[in-house]
Amino acid sequence: MVRFKNRYVLCEVVSEDPRCRQCIEDRALGLAVRDAIARVHGDYGLACCSISFTVKYLNAYTGTVLLRCRKDSYRLLCSALPFVRCLESRAQRYPCFLNTLHVGGTIRTCQKFLIQYNRTQLLRLLQNCTNEEERQCIQKSLLSCSLTEEQSQSGDEEEDDGTE
Amino acid sequence: QNILTVCFSVGYSAVALNHVVDFKEKKQEISKPVSPSELFPSLPIVQGTSKRIKVLTRLTLIVSDPSHCNLLRSTSANIRLYDIIAVFPKTEKLFHIACTTLDVDLVCINVTEKLPFYFRRPPVNMAIDRGIYFELLYTPAIKDSTMRRYTISNAISLMQICKGKNIVISSAAERPLELRGPYDVANLGLLFGLSEGEAKAAVSTNCRATMLHGETRKSACGVVYTVKKPRKVEEEETVPACKKAKTQA
Repeated sequence: MVRFKNRYVLCEVVSEDPRCRQCIEDRALGLAVRDAIARVHGDYGLACCSISFTVKYLNAYTGTVLLRCRKDSYRLLCSALPFVRCLESRAQRYPCFLNTLHVGGTIRTCQKFLIQYNRTQLLRLLQNCTNEEERQCIQKSLLSCSLTEEQSQSGDEEEDDGTE
Repeated sequence: QNILTVCFSVGYSAVALNHVVDFKEKKQEISKPVSPSELFPSLPIVQGTSKRIKVLTRLTLIVSDPSHCNLLRSTSANIRLYDIIAVFPKTEKLFHIACTTLDVDLVCINVTEKLPFYFRRPPVNMAIDRGIYFELLYTPAIKDSTMRRYTISNAISLMQICKGKNIVISSAAERPLELRGPYDVANLGLLFGLSEGEAKAAVSTNCRATMLHGETRKSACGVVYTVKKPRKVEEEETVPACKKAKTQA
């Protein structure tokens, strides 16, 4: 069966500035990643990686990004991700870096990983939080997050509400 | 301190803080390392496991002259306090000495300028046998484009000689945004010419081996191996004396 195989790279945007996360846009991020690939691998690398390159999913609250590229060129993409230094959006530069979490062949596997990862992040937040209300809020979201057929997208959003 | 918090949140389980000692100035004295408990009242827990994060101290000596190496052999008490010792040789002779005779854990490879010497196979093989690791930095590559070229060319020339064994990739980050996660650093290893398994090892198992090497260097000076000798009639007086000496050592 002839089918185009893709790789989905799950990353997290880490930055010191709290305003940076709110201003993440998919176009700005795509441009920043393409720019990094061009700097590291040149014109050939940029051309190879941009065959099927898109930003599939973006979560501004947690800074989670899902990128898609062809299976043949995902190594070029992954090796150029550490060189992303700043995001530019609305004429403002935010220094940041991308932390690769998981590379998967389908969106579903990346989603499963993301749910587990968010669960561990919530547990860490639980240790650090001081307010009793926040504690209960987080505990409720922890118990309720799961991957089900109908609610697969809302599963992610429930945890994001918990972290805010 | 900010750098350390970012490290922990990204997923590293052990961090080493580096002190650089340069020998160009006269009268360099090695100061005591900063104890990690001064920085953090309680060390946070690693993500995913329930162990605390280790913070180690590390010393880097920039040597450009064979007389600087005498400092390593001296019994200055402050050197013993560091967990890992690294040496940064500037000339070929010093590289040879560092790989073969010096008592260090890491040999740093210069990434910021063109190497003045070529690597040769005999000292590199001896270093691999002794358990010494070669270290590459990745933060200059992120900052500047010319540094990136030097980093990659030096790294690839090292790979051609040592076949990817005994490599450790580390960052010399001065700001928290210059740090990269472990998966990203392993991907950087692919750029340097390592295979995927070797690149992952360069971040995980090789670093662990370096830590153990540093610990053995601090604690054990040698290993005594006792073997039961078959007692012969003439040697009865000497054998108990030997055994007593061995058990006392």
